[in-house]
This record gives sequence, C-alpha cells and structure tokens, in this order.
Amino acid sequence: MSRGATTTAKPAWLTRLSAVPPRKLAVRVLIGLVLAFVAVYVGYKAADDPRTFVVVGLNGLTLAGLYFVVASGFTLIFGLMRVVNMAHGSLYMLAGFFALSLQKKLTGGEATSAFGTSEAGLGDWIIPLVVACLGVGLIGLVMQQAFLRWNQGQELRQALITIAISIIIADQVLANFGGVAENLAAPDAFPESVSLRLYDISYPFFRIFVLLVAIAVGLALWAMIKRTRFGMIVRAGVDDRQMVSALGINIQLVFASAFLIGAFLAGLGGVLGGTMISVNKGNDTTYLLFSLIVVIIGGMGSLAGAAIGALALGLVDAFGDVYLPAGYTNYSVLLIFALLVLVLAVRPLGLFGRPA
Amino acid sequence: MTRSTHVVERALWWAPGMAIVVVLAAAPLLFTDFYLSAVLTKALWLGVAAVSLTFLAGYVGMVSLGQVALYGIAGFTMANLVTADGGSAIAWNPWLGTLAGILVCTGAGLLFGAIASRSYGIYFLMITLAFGVIVYLFFAQVTQLSGFGGVNNVDRPDIVSNPVSDPANLFYIALGTAAAVYVLLRYLGRTPFGLALQGVRDDPSRMRALGFNVPLLRMLAFGLGALVAALAGILSVWWNTRISPGSIDLPRTLDVLIIAVIGGLYRLEGAWVGAIVFTVLDNWTRGIDIVGGRFNTVIGVVFLAIVLLSPGGLMGIWQSITDFVGRRLAGTGPSPPEAERAHPS
Amino acid sequence: MRDGSDGGRLRLWALLAVLAFVVAGIAAGCGGDDDEDEGGGVTATTTGTDAEATGEPLRIGIFSNNEGAFAPFEGQTWGGAMLPLIERGATPASDDPTDGVENAVIAGRPIEIVYGGSDSTPDSAVEEARRLVEQENVEILLGPLSGSEGIAVANYSKEQPGVTFVNGISGAQDTTLKVRSENFFRFHSDGTQWTAGLGDYAYNELGWRNVVTIGDDYDFPYSQIAGFVAEFCAIGGTVSERLWPPLGEEDYSSFITQIPEDVDGFFMGVGGTGTVAFVNQYGQLRGNLADRIMGGIFMTDPVILEELGNQVVGVVTAGMTAGDSQEPAYLEYAEGLGNAYADLEGTASSVFAYGYYTAMEAIAQSLEEVEGDLSDEHAAFRDALANIELDAPLGTITLDENRQAIMDNFLQQIVEDASGDGVPDVQTIKTIPQVDQTFAGFFSPETPSPDRTNPACEEAEPPPWTAQGGGG
Repeated sequence: MSRGATTTAKPAWLTRLSAVPPRKLAVRVLIGLVLAFVAVYVGYKAADDPRTFVVVGLNGLTLAGLYFVVASGFTLIFGLMRVVNMAHGSLYMLAGFFALSLQKKLTGGEATSAFGTSEAGLGDWIIPLVVACLGVGLIGLVMQQAFLRWNQGQELRQALITIAISIIIADQVLANFGGVAENLAAPDAFPESVSLRLYDISYPFFRIFVLLVAIAVGLALWAMIKRTRFGMIVRAGVDDRQMVSALGINIQLVFASAFLIGAFLAGLGGVLGGTMISVNKGNDTTYLLFSLIVVIIGGMGSLAGAAIGALALGLVDAFGDVYLPAGYTNYSVLLIFALLVLVLAVRPLGLFGRPA
Repeated sequence: MTRSTHVVERALWWAPGMAIVVVLAAAPLLFTDFYLSAVLTKALWLGVAAVSLTFLAGYVGMVSLGQVALYGIAGFTMANLVTADGGSAIAWNPWLGTLAGILVCTGAGLLFGAIASRSYGIYFLMITLAFGVIVYLFFAQVTQLSGFGGVNNVDRPDIVSNPVSDPANLFYIALGTAAAVYVLLRYLGRTPFGLALQGVRDDPSRMRALGFNVPLLRMLAFGLGALVAALAGILSVWWNTRISPGSIDLPRTLDVLIIAVIGGLYRLEGAWVGAIVFTVLDNWTRGIDIVGGRFNTVIGVVFLAIVLLSPGGLMGIWQSITDFVGRRLAGTGPSPPEAERAHPS
Repeated sequence: MRDGSDGGRLRLWALLAVLAFVVAGIAAGCGGDDDEDEGGGVTATTTGTDAEATGEPLRIGIFSNNEGAFAPFEGQTWGGAMLPLIERGATPASDDPTDGVENAVIAGRPIEIVYGGSDSTPDSAVEEARRLVEQENVEILLGPLSGSEGIAVANYSKEQPGVTFVNGISGAQDTTLKVRSENFFRFHSDGTQWTAGLGDYAYNELGWRNVVTIGDDYDFPYSQIAGFVAEFCAIGGTVSERLWPPLGEEDYSSFITQIPEDVDGFFMGVGGTGTVAFVNQYGQLRGNLADRIMGGIFMTDPVILEELGNQVVGVVTAGMTAGDSQEPAYLEYAEGLGNAYADLEGTASSVFAYGYYTAMEAIAQSLEEVEGDLSDEHAAFRDALANIELDAPLGTITLDENRQAIMDNFLQQIVEDASGDGVPDVQTIKTIPQVDQTFAGFFSPETPSPDRTNPACEEAEPPPWTAQGGGG
C-alpha cells in the first residue's frame, strides 16, 4: 500500500470480504470455526487411537456407499420429474423382503441364518437380488404410470400420493411378512472378512463390497448422464422439460425409464442393506429419512451432491457413535441435525442444488 | 344480489361455526363419557394440531411435516417441568409448566423457521419432515428427558381434572381452545400481516420486489404455527396424562397430515372435519374384527382417494356441493364473480 | 383463503347440512352408549344351550400388539392366552389364535373374549385399554405386551378400580415395583428377574471379574442389564463400561469396535430386531462370540435361534422359560399349544406365549376358586389372585406384596443341534429357584429406575441363589 497517495488501495481480498453482508460473514466465520473445531477434535482422537479411527472410518465409508445407492435413485427421480417419491423407503424395504422370501425358497429355509450355517451359493444371492430389484422397479413404474403421470407439476399432490402409498405398503408388509428382523445371507463365495495390512485390521468383506458397488453405481450413472443420449435427454429435461417435449422427444418414455431406474436403485439398496445390516419393517422410515437428508445436504437432482451428502451422513453417523464423549452418545442424532443446519445456513438448496 | 343480502351474508359467515359450537357445548349430555373423551376431545386437539398445518399450507404455502414434532417439544417441556413419573420432574406449578412449554415450542418454531425460511415448496416439506424425525429420535434417545418409556402421570392444573373419570372439563377447555384458535387465525388472515403472508404464498419474488422481508415473514408464520401446535401439544398431554416418544413418531406426523388433507388443506374448518372423521373411523374400525389392526391401510386408502379425487379434501367436496346447489338456487340471478370463486390457493 | 360471500340462502343450506352432520355424529356417538349391541370385536360366542354355562356371561378383554415392532408375536400371545380356555373345553374359532375360541366357560360362566391391539407405544396401549374397558365394558383385561405400555396401563388401572388388570408379557420393572396399582397383577417375572443367575455364573463359573455391557438404549435392555449388574456387582464383579447404541441404530459396528479387547467378557442386552444384526456384525468384526459373551432373553427365542444358527453356540443366557424341560406338565402344555394351533408348534417356550398363558391360567383358576363371583369390585377374586399358588408348567408361581410374580429362572446354554432340525438347541444348565423382583432387597420402590447408569455397580447383599449368598 502506498502511504503517500491520497487514497489507499485496499487489497483485493479485503474488498471482496467487505462486500459480503456482515450477517452472512458472521455465519460463515462461525461455520468455519465449527469445522475447524471438529477437525481438531477428530484429529486428536485419531492420533490417539489410529486403529479405531480407520475401522470407524471404514464403517462410515461403507455406510455412505449404501446411502448413496439409495439416495441416487431418489435424487434422479426428483431432478428429472420434480417428484419427491416418499415411497422410496417403502420400495427399499419391499425389495429386502422380496429377496428374503425368494432366498428362503431357493435354499430351503436354511440360508437366512448367519454365516455359520449358510449354504448360499452365488446364485442364491444374485437371483433374489435381480428379481427383487426388477420387481421393485416395476412396482415403481406402475406407481408412476398410474398415479403420477397425469398430475405432473403438482408437486405437493404427488408427494401426498406417494405418502399415502407408503402408508399402505408399510401396513401390508406388516400384515403379510411376519417374523423378526432377518438377514439376507451373502454368498459363501464371499469371504467373511478381509484383512487389511493396516493396523492388523480384519474388516467385513461384504461392507467393502457394498462400497465398491456404490462406486460402480455412481460411475455408471455418471456415464449414463454424461455420455449417453438418454442421459443427454435427462439433463435437458432437468433444465427445461417443455422444450424437450417440444422438440418431439417422447418425454413420457424418458420419465418412465428414469422412474424405473430410480426404483431399481432403491431396490438394490434394499438388498445390499438387507445383507449388510438387516431386513426390517422399520426400514422404510429410516431409509426415507436418510435419502432426504442426503439430498437436502447435497442438493436435489445432483448426483455429485448425493455422493457428498451420503459421505457426510455416513461419516457423521459412524464417528458420532464413537467419538462423542461416553454418556452423550445418545445425542448423536443431534449431530445429524447440526449437519443439516450447517448446510442449510449457507446453501438453502443444498450444496449442489439449483432452484427449480 | 341486493345490498341487504350482502350485509346479511357478511354477518352470517360465522353462523354455521357458531351453530356447531352450540351443539358441541351440549355434547357432554349427548354422548357417553368414553366417547366424549376418547373421540370428541381427541378430535378437538388433533384438529388444533392439524389447523396449524392447514394455516401454514393454506395461507403461507408452507406444507410442514414438523407440527407434531413441535407439539412434542411443547409437551415434553411441560412434562419435564411439572411433577411426573419419569423425565426431570422439576415440579413446577402446572400453569407455569404450560406457559414454559408454549414459549419453548414457539422459540423452537422460530428457530426452525429461520433455518428453513429460504426453502420453498417440496424442499421445505422435506426439511420439516427431517426435523420432525430428528426431534422424535432426540426424545427417544435422550433418556434424561424421557427415554422410551416416556413421562407418566403428568401433573395437570386442577381445572383440567381427570380425563378418564371427569372428561367434561377437558372437553370444554379443548373446545374453547379450538374455537379461539379458529377465530384468531381467521382474523389474522385479514390483517396486513395475514395478507402479506398470502402474498408470499402466491408470489414470493414479487413480494420481495415490493420490499417485504420474505424470509422474515415465513419465519414468523412458522413461529405462529408452532404456537398453535404448542397448544395442541399441551392439550394432548393433558388428555393422555402422559407423553412418550411414541406420541410424536412418524405415524403420528402422518396422521396429522392425513387429517389436514382429508379435511381440506385450504379451509381452516377442514382441520376439525378431518379430525372428527379420523377419530370416528379409528374408533369404529377397531371394533370390527376383519379390519382389526389394519386401520392404517384403511386410512391410507381414504387418504389416497381424497388426494386423487378431491385435492381440496372434504371441505373441497363440500364447497363443490354448495357451489352447485347455490348456482341452481340462484337460478337466473348473477352468479358470484369468478374471482371470488377462484381456486382456493 | 375464501371469505365465503356466497348467497344468503346458501348459508341456510350450510346450516342445515352442518346440523345434519352433527346429528349423524350423535347417532354414531349414541352407538357408543349401547355396548351390548356393539357388534365388532367380540370374537367368541356362547351357546347358551351348553349345560355347563349357567352363569352370567363374563367379558374378558385381551390385547397384544397388532402393529409395531412386536406385531409378529401377536399369534404367540393369543395362543398362550387361549390355551387355558381350550384346556377347559373351548374350541379354537380358527387356525388363527387371534380369532379367539368358542364355548369358553370358566366356573360355569360363559366367557366373551373381546379383541384389542396396540402398536407398542404407551399412548396407543392406553387408548386401547380405555376402549376395551370403557366402551366394550370388559371386566377383566389381559395385556399389554411391551414394556413401556405396561407402565402406562398399570397407571391407567388406578383409574378403573372396578376392573381387574392382568399383565400380558410387558416386562418393565417399574410396572409393579413403582406403580403398585391395587388391581394390576403380573404373573410372570420382569425383565430384570430374567437375568437372575447370570451374574453368579459369570463370576463363579467363568471367572469373569470385569465386564462390559452393551444394550439398546431403551427401557427393556435397561431392565436386563440392571439385573445382571445388580447380581454381578453385589458379589464383587466390576462393570468397566456400559455401551448404549441409540434406539433404531442397526449398525453396531462402531459400538463393537469400542468394546475393549481386555475385558473378561460382556453382557449383551440387545433386544428384538437388533439381536440378529448385532450377532452378525460382531461375527464379522471380532469373530466367534461364544467364549466371551452372555446374552439377554431374546437369544433363546426359537424364531431368533433359527436366524442366528451356529454363530451363537456356547453362549450362556437366562430366562423364565426352559424349552428343553422334560417335566410332564411342560410337555403337556407344549403339546396342547401345538395341537390347538399348528403354527405355534415349537413356540411353547416363547415368553410371549408363556406370559399370556400364565396370566389366563391364573385368571381361570382364581375364578374357579371364587366360583365366578366378581361382586364387590372383584374383592374375593383379587384375593384369590393375590394368594394363588399357580402350578405353572415350568414351576410354581406366587405373587409378592406388589402383585408381582416370584418364580424360578433358568440358566441356559446354546448348544449344537442334536434334535436334527437344523436349529441350535437350548440346554438348561441350572434352575434358579424362586427369584423375587427385589433381588433380595437390592431393588425397592426408592431405588432409581433402571437406566443408562442405574443401578450403580456396588457390592451388596448377595442374592440367595448365588454361591456367595448360600445358593448355587
């Protein structure tokens, strides 16, 4: 800065800084402080017990993978059709139950117990997976054609319709699929755990498998959106639906396909989650909530957002359980709330969200 | 229409409401104690909860799935401050506890409102749903405040007395509260604040261009909704004599949504219409063997049917009927201006 | 919003129609008055021509969970409840236990069973109890199922001194120890009593001195772990950490990693739906469970054993039922249950069936003792209930002064399948006689309710069934 001049020239960064309204600035500084605090705290805990940090980190990553698979379907449907599919969690749950019933039939009722007595061949898992996903995809398609096709644009109404459907599905699942929470048996061909050379950790193989599947799904979706003609139409449809149909493209077919894919992904998540964690009648609420949170954080209609959101939720969930001071672990749900608040304070539409 | 009929009908807009109130006032003489308590009083406070949603949805365009969670905050705050089994049981005076519950809930509503004030439409719905479930999980998991077993034997003001053996008191209190809330919200709709809210509902960017602080308005509206929900929450704890996380779980949230939608999201009266249909149906189906525990499927189907066929809910159907009858009766007279019969919102 | 400026005549129509609504409402409401004609829900009929049925009909309400997490167990509860009636000559109305029975007669009085159901939340349980008592006018109410529901219903029972309430299978300690309603009876042990004997076994047989507990964060695991901690610490053990995964948490991996490697063992109070998830995840992360774990009551539920398989062979657990009992009374009960309802074959040892069975059996026997006389607000009947010595299939049950059952508890171990059905078997290794709710004075109405930190781990008077207390 030149002292002798009559006007002092501010450095560029200061100019930009003072251009930000003070309240926004305060919010951003606050968030910055919070993040810094969290980073330091986690860093300290990690240095203290690196082994736990790695295991819990893997737990978070694998959970994030599962959340991503489910949420990607949700965000695809919303991004293109502006439909909030409140029955998404129900589809997840249904797929789990379908796969479970089918697996029981295929293995004569034995394999659904834990790894111990399982005699599940590769087919005993793949077949239920494919059938359940396709089945649930079809149900989603029928739902869309019957209930959502003729009232496009009425977002609230569509949300209410899907809520009603989810209530009916939940009650019927309760009535027809008795039994306690059960697991799908992973194929015997899968090892039970892999040993990572790091810190002598032995980690469940299936969870890593889920993470790999999630990455594959992400890449596949990305390739589809960016590289295929279908994806191009989807992107165009997200931007301007009317223009696309004015161009003569059969937008209804695109919608139907997208809904089918979205529901299929919910089903895929359901089978993966059913093997990794459990098949449970409470799943519809839980996974709908997780999908909502992932998409609120990441932004509706954004695949990258879904990935980031899933990562955030999975890591917060896993680390919160372990790193909160003992005696306060029951407040871990507040961490998720805090995460939501942090994101919404800065980006009301989510990190990668765009206004309708 | 002549001038005098105009005057008459303006003065009579409250007539049906008053008629219903008068009939209800005699209800303890007409119904059994059980029905009065389990069905009618429940419908009254559920209606207050639903009207907070109807108000937000109809006047401000904010469909919120967080109303049940909010009334849970009011209820749990009160339950923890007064004498009870479970929770913190700090043993305050019940009226003070009630006041505290209402204030805390309104504060929470303003806070949530501030966080969500820049989000619209379906996005807003999702955020409030997430809030609602998080609040439920909070009360389920923080055992110092409730834990799973909840807080039992919550102390009530003497005037409330015992909802089982002496239901008339609580019935009248609920009736009075419901009537007061209805009149208040109806009145608010005509004040500058209410009109501004409706402007925000219809076209936020235009309101912003006109110089209104839209996020602030939405935040305040949400706070008002929270206040009404708080009243419902207090009534619900007095009615149940207990509160537990199960009182505010997702099925309960959806129940209130269903009630508001079935009744009609665009008319305040719809909240109570929906509530009475819901409670009567619930009570009736429990006794029927085939239906038994499948009430949820029944109400889900009814809900779906209403959403598909009549988005205005039962009040919408009612409106259509009265419009139709009115047009037939009016015969050759001029029909009310189109604008006045414009779509509800 | 509309401000309703339609025609004046319209307003009249509105008024009339509104009054029509209200009249309809009154008509429906008056239906509530007339309880005899309330057709729905009565799932049993009396023949009237039956020579034995000479007395006045008696309405008994039974409710369990028909929604919520425990709904799958509804059939077992009803099967247990119907069996004493079937043993006295009633016939099942269908294959579904919840349809009730016909020609049920106790002490010469025909029995009308009224169906109810809740969703495991306290509010719904009380609403259902109120409907059964106030609208359906039952005289005896059997239920509820879940822990927190029991506390709420026990509180409600104080409002209805003219009705006798008998617990179904809800197992929270407070229901009798704290609430102490004069007309609420529980004929099975509570969740805390179900762990009697485990602390003793851990300390004296397995040589454990330091233990970590892990349980879901809600009242039932609190009760279970409270019982274990009370006993284990009373005789000198220590609990270094109590982990509580939040309710609804199904991913236990992070909690499993927190369990220190160097404790002697740990007590698992993960209930219901979490058991399967937990066992699988533990197996993946740490390996075999059996040598370092003790389990809560759900581990021996037949349905869960089928799920968990050989993963849990070796685990020691305890509970109020012994599925391998060879006592004639038990075999007769199990056979009776399977004969009455084919779907319930093999579930006789389920606590859900057994709890509702002992409740109905106690009701029936007490009614027989007073010859069906329920006059004077059930005075003689309640006296009979309170003083009964119930010869239940698995041992004698008596009640303490809070109307809470005192009964045997069974220490059990999961062993390799020997019966050939592919499911691991449960072997009773010890009978703990006549466990009372207070654990020999450790618990009282003044002690804090079991929760995340209570009871504290302290040395105290050893319960009489432990080695240190003179038992074993």
